[in-house]
Amino acid sequence: MKIKGIHSRYVTLFSLCLMSFLAFAALAHAKNEFKLKLGAKGQICLKCHETFQKTLKSRFVHPLLKKGECIGCHVPHTSSHKGLLKADKAKLCYNCHKEVLPENARSSHEVVVEGSCETCHDSHGSNNRFILSKSGNKLCLDCHKDMSADVRNVKFKHKSLEEGKGCLNCHDPHASAKSNFLLERDAPSLCLKCHKTNKPSFAKKHMNYPVTAADCTSCHNPHGSNKRGVIYDVAHAAVTEGRCTECHQKPTSLETKKKTTQLCRDCHQDMVDQTFNKNRVHWPVLDKVGCVNCHDPHATKEQKLLKGSIVNVCGKCHADTVQLQEWSIKNAIDDKLCEPVKKGNCIACHSPHAADNVLLISEQDISIDLCGRCHEWETHSTHPIGEKFIDIRDKNLSLTCLSCHWACGTGNNPAMLTFSATRELCIQCHVERIK
Amino acid sequence: MINGSSKILFIMAGLLVSVLLFQLSLSEAAIKFRYMTSIYADDKGLGLKQPEGVACSGESLLIVADTGNGRLLRYSIKDGAIEVDTVEIKVDQLSYPIKTEINSTGEIYIFDRKLRSIVRLSPAGEFRGYLQPVGLPSPTAYVPRSFTIDRNDSIHILDILSERVLILDPGGRYVRQIKFPDEYGFFSDVAVDFRGTVLLIDGVDGKVFSAGKNSASFSPLSSSLKEYVRFPASLTTDDRGRIYLVDRNGASIIILGQDGSFLGRQSGMGWKEGSLNYPTQMCINKKGEIFVADTNNSRVQIFLMVE
Repeated sequence: MKIKGIHSRYVTLFSLCLMSFLAFAALAHAKNEFKLKLGAKGQICLKCHETFQKTLKSRFVHPLLKKGECIGCHVPHTSSHKGLLKADKAKLCYNCHKEVLPENARSSHEVVVEGSCETCHDSHGSNNRFILSKSGNKLCLDCHKDMSADVRNVKFKHKSLEEGKGCLNCHDPHASAKSNFLLERDAPSLCLKCHKTNKPSFAKKHMNYPVTAADCTSCHNPHGSNKRGVIYDVAHAAVTEGRCTECHQKPTSLETKKKTTQLCRDCHQDMVDQTFNKNRVHWPVLDKVGCVNCHDPHATKEQKLLKGSIVNVCGKCHADTVQLQEWSIKNAIDDKLCEPVKKGNCIACHSPHAADNVLLISEQDISIDLCGRCHEWETHSTHPIGEKFIDIRDKNLSLTCLSCHWACGTGNNPAMLTFSATRELCIQCHVERIK
Repeated sequence: MINGSSKILFIMAGLLVSVLLFQLSLSEAAIKFRYMTSIYADDKGLGLKQPEGVACSGESLLIVADTGNGRLLRYSIKDGAIEVDTVEIKVDQLSYPIKTEINSTGEIYIFDRKLRSIVRLSPAGEFRGYLQPVGLPSPTAYVPRSFTIDRNDSIHILDILSERVLILDPGGRYVRQIKFPDEYGFFSDVAVDFRGTVLLIDGVDGKVFSAGKNSASFSPLSSSLKEYVRFPASLTTDDRGRIYLVDRNGASIIILGQDGSFLGRQSGMGWKEGSLNYPTQMCINKKGEIFVADTNNSRVQIFLMVE
């Protein structure tokens, strides 16, 4: 029994050893089922792709490359994606870096949405933090060139743009869940990170008005300006001259003395009266918001204190027309696109406040007089136009420029014609040509 | 002659046809506009100039706001033809007529865009005064953008200054108001359907809002219709509650069901008869004839609704 007992213990021990060995062998086999050479997950790659030896010496290297795991992103043999990538370039980074694009982002960087991460990052390594391809504001301003010129040339610069993280002091480069324009959060909360409102000088500069809860960017240009206090370059005289009480009640509140257009009329009486005397006042002038629908009462970057470029301000309501204008620019098949259409200068033809004519056209004749401001007729066309020539399609219409052309753009039609083919247009009236 | 199994088959086929017909009657029938004729001038030959308003009453009365000529024209239409002499209505108190409506007593209401006032005329076209709402609650200031008159002759004013629809009795006394919803682009017109539901069209966002007969607030009836419409400027309804949007920039008429669902789009941009250019208002008479103020074509076009 003893011998038997000893024997059975050995058998059990032997079985355990054997099972462990088999398990270990199986694991080892599973780990290297393709019989890979040592370092096949990346180290071997570097034997041929020598340039990455240099990349590995960069200050910041992508962790996968650092670990020698090229197969984290690449497939060693074949792939449907350029660079033997594991997935489409636009999606690959998101496999690990999902957090850069929050689901309910209020604003997101276009290149991030497109998945063009390499626009800013070197996917392998660089000497800049976060393996960025360039350092500091240069990275942002090389693309945002308009902003670059503004920032560089302004007389009064915003310190936070030049110190610390630069642009990233206020903006999140990927997306923002809390604010527009990739801002970390909305003004004034964002501004109050640095600017203290409890100082007497703050109150004095703001004429004691309770502005701490107001949107600072309604007057101040966060990227710098040529006006002291980084007030936008185009500022309402009442603002720059500190005449706040002309529009606002005493400094106990920000309430205005009057509402809507009535307030503006106190100073701009002639202009408002002329507007109200026209047949057609642009409706937003008359609503609860009035002038402030399009103009900023304090300061802006745009002329006439407009809230944005003309085409953007008009496009806020007339998106359909601006869409046509944009489409016409993108798809133009000749160089005959009207200059105002090219430039988005809607007010070259339309009177934004009021007019006596349909479509708020300032000229009596909706097309000949209007177009004639820029185009000399008989040199342009010999087709008869004018009151004497009746449009045979409609006896109440005479032939004008708009009988054939459409002024806001016609997509990819030639010469802003209303039909895509000239013949199609001409046979509208010249029916005999069909025969 | 017919054996048992054939009888069963016939009965089943009959049932199937009945069910299909019932389903068809429940669903909205397809609607088309058939072009009939156009009105170009008064009886003296003076052409219309950019008319922006049309109002229908009964089976034959049509009032046209001949905006560019600063006048109204009264036509009697029968089977698409002008029946008797046209009457020109020109009053000093009216300078730039746009939207036009007729109440059940034949009174004519016109919105004067230049004066931003609603003018009341007798059925014969005599000036009866400007509509002055009585007993408005605070804020008393208002700016009408448009108006409509319902089946009970109550007047609904679209007030863009104080963001509400004011409802007045036929005498102009304040009855109640419905505040605009919190989120909207810009309201360009108001209509009331046969059930008393007040409808608003948001031209900027391309949405229809509705408020039930006694409701105190508006809610969206449709989601954005921008897929089908460019810039709807006005709306009207028919006896079945269908909604018609006049798409000014899109030069067409968009038809919606009672629930705001898209049913179709009629006409399109052009100068030839049957096409539209910057249409502004439309009305439907009891015979199902549709009149459209084809503003930039300086005419009124008449269509027949075909289902």
